[in-house]
Amino acid sequence: MFHAFDNHDPAPTMVRADWMALLSQAPLDLLESAVGAHWPAKPHWLRAPETGLMMVQGRAGSTGERFNLGEVTVSRCALRLPGAQANNAVVGVAYALGRSHRQVGLAAVADALLQDSAQQDLLEQTLLSPVRQHLALLRSQREQRAQSTKVEFFTVARESSSMDDEGEAS
Amino acid sequence: MSSHDLSNLGAGFTHEAFGSQAVFRVALEALSHPGRCITVRHDAEVPQTGHPASAALLLALLDSDSTLWLSPSLANSDAAAWLRFHTGCQLVTHADQAMFAWVAAGDAMPALASFSQGSDNAPDQSATCVLDLPLLDAKAGSESGAAQWALRGPGIQDVNHLSVDGLALNFLAQWTANHASFPRGVDLFLASAQQLVGLPRTTSIQLSGGL
Repeated sequence: MFHAFDNHDPAPTMVRADWMALLSQAPLDLLESAVGAHWPAKPHWLRAPETGLMMVQGRAGSTGERFNLGEVTVSRCALRLPGAQANNAVVGVAYALGRSHRQVGLAAVADALLQDSAQQDLLEQTLLSPVRQHLALLRSQREQRAQSTKVEFFTVARESSSMDDEGEAS
Repeated sequence: MSSHDLSNLGAGFTHEAFGSQAVFRVALEALSHPGRCITVRHDAEVPQTGHPASAALLLALLDSDSTLWLSPSLANSDAAAWLRFHTGCQLVTHADQAMFAWVAAGDAMPALASFSQGSDNAPDQSATCVLDLPLLDAKAGSESGAAQWALRGPGIQDVNHLSVDGLALNFLAQWTANHASFPRGVDLFLASAQQLVGLPRTTSIQLSGGL
């Protein structure tokens, strides 16, 4: 199943999986500026940031049999933020490629904050739409790079004695 | 068993490596001195259901390759979600598929013979059971209703005494059969709230003469 989350149109109802997918690709500087201030003085880790390997599987043409593509470095963590009610703390979970514990920690804070509907609009403006723009930019740069290597093939009409060959080539 | 709801989940050991090593050390000590009550010190935020000592022991022992069977009152509790989250272990519904089993106090324990017994070539493949009991006492003093055991075997100089409460009536007969099938057979941990007692398959149990 192919799921394209980086050319996402801003739907009115975002579910948690949507923003978690975005947060996993958010660059550190965007996260830092948007949720750095919410970083708890003493984070309550359910799972402290840890780095490990994950096997990525793929399908040729996204339809064939699954095969193991290779291992990627992934960091993950889960933390608890004190919620609005004392007994109802929110848990933020994040996974991201790479080894940056700070990045994955901030993504988990953002995930916890986004579960509070009062914070969602603000974070949508300060974090999620910049991340979407950033990903769209990366995507267009990648497309342009690919575009510059594109080769056009022309069929050159050659002179021929036969009339019906000429008709096909032109 | 709602393994997706993390909001009520406690944290594991503060330092995963040091915490599980300390508890593993306790487990080693318990198995090398059968019948000795050893207090488990740990800093994990254990689930509400089940004894803290057994939760910490399983947190230290389990990993993503282990299979775990939980007694009915644990299987539907936060303990299942907690162990799944922190250790990645696989929960199984049939006791005979499990490498580890955890039986809560008050739940009926399946027959020892129904757990994986290992084979003569690979006796290490047998199950390890953790049994929550309301009371464990290493002294031979007579508590009302508690069975008085005399333990003998490797790791015991002469004889160790233990009073336990809350076990099935035919437990001793089951244990005798388990002991007799050496090198196969299951190993047992008995757990009170904070203490562990190891009962490896090499230990023989008799009712002590006091009763």
